[in-house]
Amino acid sequence: MNDMTPEKKTGALTKWSRRGFIGAGVLAGGGLLIGIGVRPGNPIGELAPKLVGAEGEQLVNSWVKIGVDNVVTAIVPHCEMGQGAHSVLAQMLADELDADWSKVEVMQAPTDGTYVMTDTARMFVAPFTLNAADWIEPTWNGLFTQISKALDVMITGGSSSIRTTGQGQMRVAGAAARKMLVGAAADAWGVPASEIETRDSMLYHKASGKSATYGEFASAAAEQTMDQTPTLKDPSQYRLIGKSKARTDIPSKVNGTAEFGMDAAPEGLSVSYAATIRPPAPGTRVASMDTTQAKEMSGVLQILNMGDFVAVVADSYWQAQQALNTVDVQWTQSESAIKSTADQFNAYAKALDEAGATGGDVAASKGDTQAALSSAVTTLEAEYKAPYLAHAPMEPINCTAHVMDGKCDVWTSTQVPLTVRSALSEATGIAKDDITVHHPYLGGSFGRRLEAVYAVMAARIAQATGYPVKSIWSREEDTQKALYRPAELSRFKAGLDESGSLVAYDNIFTHRDDPKEASVPGIYSIPNTSVRVAEAERYLPFAAWRSVDHSQHGWFIESFIDEAAHAAGQDPYEYRLAMLKDAPRHAAVLKKVAEISDWSAPRAEGTAKGIAIVESFGTIVAQVIEVDMSSGKPKMLNVWAVCDAGFVVNPDGFRNQIEGGIVFGLTAAMYGELDLVDGGIKQSNFHDYKMLRMNETPDITVEIINSGDVPTGGAGEPGLPPAAPALTNAIFAATGKRLRELPIAKQFA
Amino acid sequence: MKKSAFLAAGLLTVLLAACGSSEPEPVVEQIVIREPGEAVAAATETDTGEVDLVALGKDAFQMCTGCHVADEGAASMAGPNLYGVVGRKAGSLDDFAYSDALAGSDLTWDYATLDRFLANPGEYVPGTSMVAGAVRDGESRAAIVAYLASTSE
Amino acid sequence: MAKFILNGQPVEVDADPAMPILWVVREKLGFNGTKFGCGIAQCGACTVHLDGQPVRSCSTPVSAAEGSEVTTIEGIAGPEGELSALQKAWISEQVPQCGYCQSGQLMSASALLRDNPTPSDADIDAAMSGNVCRCGTYTRIRRAIKVASGQLEPRTEEA
Repeated sequence: MNDMTPEKKTGALTKWSRRGFIGAGVLAGGGLLIGIGVRPGNPIGELAPKLVGAEGEQLVNSWVKIGVDNVVTAIVPHCEMGQGAHSVLAQMLADELDADWSKVEVMQAPTDGTYVMTDTARMFVAPFTLNAADWIEPTWNGLFTQISKALDVMITGGSSSIRTTGQGQMRVAGAAARKMLVGAAADAWGVPASEIETRDSMLYHKASGKSATYGEFASAAAEQTMDQTPTLKDPSQYRLIGKSKARTDIPSKVNGTAEFGMDAAPEGLSVSYAATIRPPAPGTRVASMDTTQAKEMSGVLQILNMGDFVAVVADSYWQAQQALNTVDVQWTQSESAIKSTADQFNAYAKALDEAGATGGDVAASKGDTQAALSSAVTTLEAEYKAPYLAHAPMEPINCTAHVMDGKCDVWTSTQVPLTVRSALSEATGIAKDDITVHHPYLGGSFGRRLEAVYAVMAARIAQATGYPVKSIWSREEDTQKALYRPAELSRFKAGLDESGSLVAYDNIFTHRDDPKEASVPGIYSIPNTSVRVAEAERYLPFAAWRSVDHSQHGWFIESFIDEAAHAAGQDPYEYRLAMLKDAPRHAAVLKKVAEISDWSAPRAEGTAKGIAIVESFGTIVAQVIEVDMSSGKPKMLNVWAVCDAGFVVNPDGFRNQIEGGIVFGLTAAMYGELDLVDGGIKQSNFHDYKMLRMNETPDITVEIINSGDVPTGGAGEPGLPPAAPALTNAIFAATGKRLRELPIAKQFA
Repeated sequence: MKKSAFLAAGLLTVLLAACGSSEPEPVVEQIVIREPGEAVAAATETDTGEVDLVALGKDAFQMCTGCHVADEGAASMAGPNLYGVVGRKAGSLDDFAYSDALAGSDLTWDYATLDRFLANPGEYVPGTSMVAGAVRDGESRAAIVAYLASTSE
Repeated sequence: MAKFILNGQPVEVDADPAMPILWVVREKLGFNGTKFGCGIAQCGACTVHLDGQPVRSCSTPVSAAEGSEVTTIEGIAGPEGELSALQKAWISEQVPQCGYCQSGQLMSASALLRDNPTPSDADIDAAMSGNVCRCGTYTRIRRAIKVASGQLEPRTEEA
């Protein structure tokens, strides 16, 4: 029997089980292959026909392979950009499978057309986000009815890998595979399946003394009938989940062998290199180029005016960049009236002024905020400004492309390989099935590699040259010609009663992207709340930037709550705690961070502590930061973070992500700023777009609360939002100076 | 709490942008100089005028900028600001915490002392916190010192 | 024709003398462990050893390596590929996230430990602050250097 035959799968689609259907098949050369398809009965019924392209195609989005050599391979649809998704997803699968962790390997699910069309996987798509991903459901209809590109949704982001793919699919695949192995052994040994135990990729039957490796039964297991809804383990049975297992990708990252997009190349072909330059102002184009000097420079092969950018192709990247630096490019003029940072914030202020005290679109509303403000004993107002930010991942943007004989191969670091494939098809006129997107490790991303434009540029260059070209953006290009975390202006009013309690909260700001709840102080009990947005022109194009709207609003809200506590003459920790009376998980997290940071202890001379709490992507994080202001400049000493993500699959991996989020947040808070000058971006590289370095990095302590029994929260982003407010609140506590603009460092220069 | 779509906006933008034009954009101008692997024409001698040591040094100083700046009034980083270092007493900036070794060295920086120090900091001033960044190449060293000296003028 | 010793092996390569070592080892010699990060010696991702000293290979011309020894990340393991104490500590402390900067971090750290077998926190900060890690693994790097130098016990998997 081959359960992977398309006919059967098409039938299965009509009777979806609770967890979606799964299928199994025999690997070439023996062994077991299991795939989990779509989907439980969430509101995507109308999507099914779009997701299943041609008749007979099946959806398979994550798999496990068990080879005759007893190696278990988890095939993971998410990209690995440092968040550890490959390893931790394999860990979830391996636990249900009772696999030997030392014999578990991880393979990146491919996106190329050839593989997609093989018998083992008739159609590879990775719409994992459909599965239990309630955070993306609101967009499905809008997204897919406007553009029938349903097959493109293979994204890694939203701190979602464990929450969706892991819980919904990897564990099911592991449990199903285990059951089939047990069934095969039971048949062969003539014993009841219930008497067979599994551990470390071995099958045991105690009474008869029989034992075998998984590999020995891998082929036979593929003949077993698959359980569509295998029973998953109870947490008490976990052997790997909840343990800090070492990540599978790390060994290759300490000896230089890990392959990033930058390192990838077509096998057996020599590659030429391209350096590119795009217009300084969004939406403008090449007007003319003078190549007199560049044409004479060593190594130069071609110079291309592509309309929306200029490229120099050379024998080496360095030569290409050197030559490009000499090309005098004139650009068309931007039509926007915004030319400077001041213009941008003036446009924002105008929008907020026009909306007035009650205008704008309502993001959240409770009680009668205007009435409560006018009857309040104390009122306060504040205006906060957050700057534009770049992602600045360590691996500069790059893509290698080979376009030949109607086929296109690209090698690139991306969070959205299938989106890249579609964009390439549009740009080159080549059918999607003839396009292969190879996507090795990402050298960081943080939202940067959610766009396809750099792959499109590389493919267009390669199409023009006819030979393989690796296109590399300089650091300067990535800093100045990307998509950006938006600058934002936010105004607050608050009213306090006699006891100092916050009874009225009014907030208006200029953009609402995602997550929609980021701007709402929903964790606190405040009787009258008005949160409004007055959309204003945003000069630079938008990008999701680690934690997205939480990156600004976490700082705004937690700074202003601190101002309210100060106006009330109350301790900022006690003040918050009193408002968390209806949020027991949040209160527990806040209490714990106060405890481990010794909040109530007297402060050492010149030092102070600040506190903040933000829930984002399903994880509650509270932080206390200790800062030393005795030199007149902030020196960060300690960060204590307490996190409740429901249940953490790999505690050390989780802590690593939270630590990273904190450093990312502190970097932005201390230094992050892009200035607009003459319609372009002033900063260009790490000397003026500074990163926190080791000598400035405080000690970081991360504690985890597993409150369980709630949906699993994310890890990649939630560490970031509380960092900036905890720091500025600490600086206020030390100096009495309330920082309402970022970044911090220049305000103490 | 309701989770909403973190990536939706970005994703939508990308996809819509991808759908914006169905016609591949033509190349405006393609200047082909040679094909890969083709022999390069004999290199033309570049103008070998006067060597500007300060300019060379400014470029070479890039290798120091992980830890140092040399800008007037700029804050020290992992290493001290080197603006005006020539003629300065070693270990004398207020905003930098020098090693005891350097602070107590009694050195004054000039061409010779900087040259020796940069060649091998730990050998010249044992105990210095400058444990990385020695400039082995004598020409680069001379250029860097010339550049630093230019900031003292 | 540039001539130097790369990871113990003599190499001869046809390259513009002004071409940075980074691009020579990556594009002409196929050693991809050394990374391009910023191109202006600000981030340290390209750190290699030139006669034992850590240098930013993106800003060091290959002419500066003439006749010298260049060591890249591929050259710090033992002859049979056995990992150095630092590399083992990088694994035990689970340092890397994306991993892109880590070759450079390891090259800076290995030069530090060679000259200073038991560095203090201040020593580590001084030696490592030229290396940016955008994922923010600094606290783990600090700990791994202490583990490699025998000042801390390695982490275990069960915690």
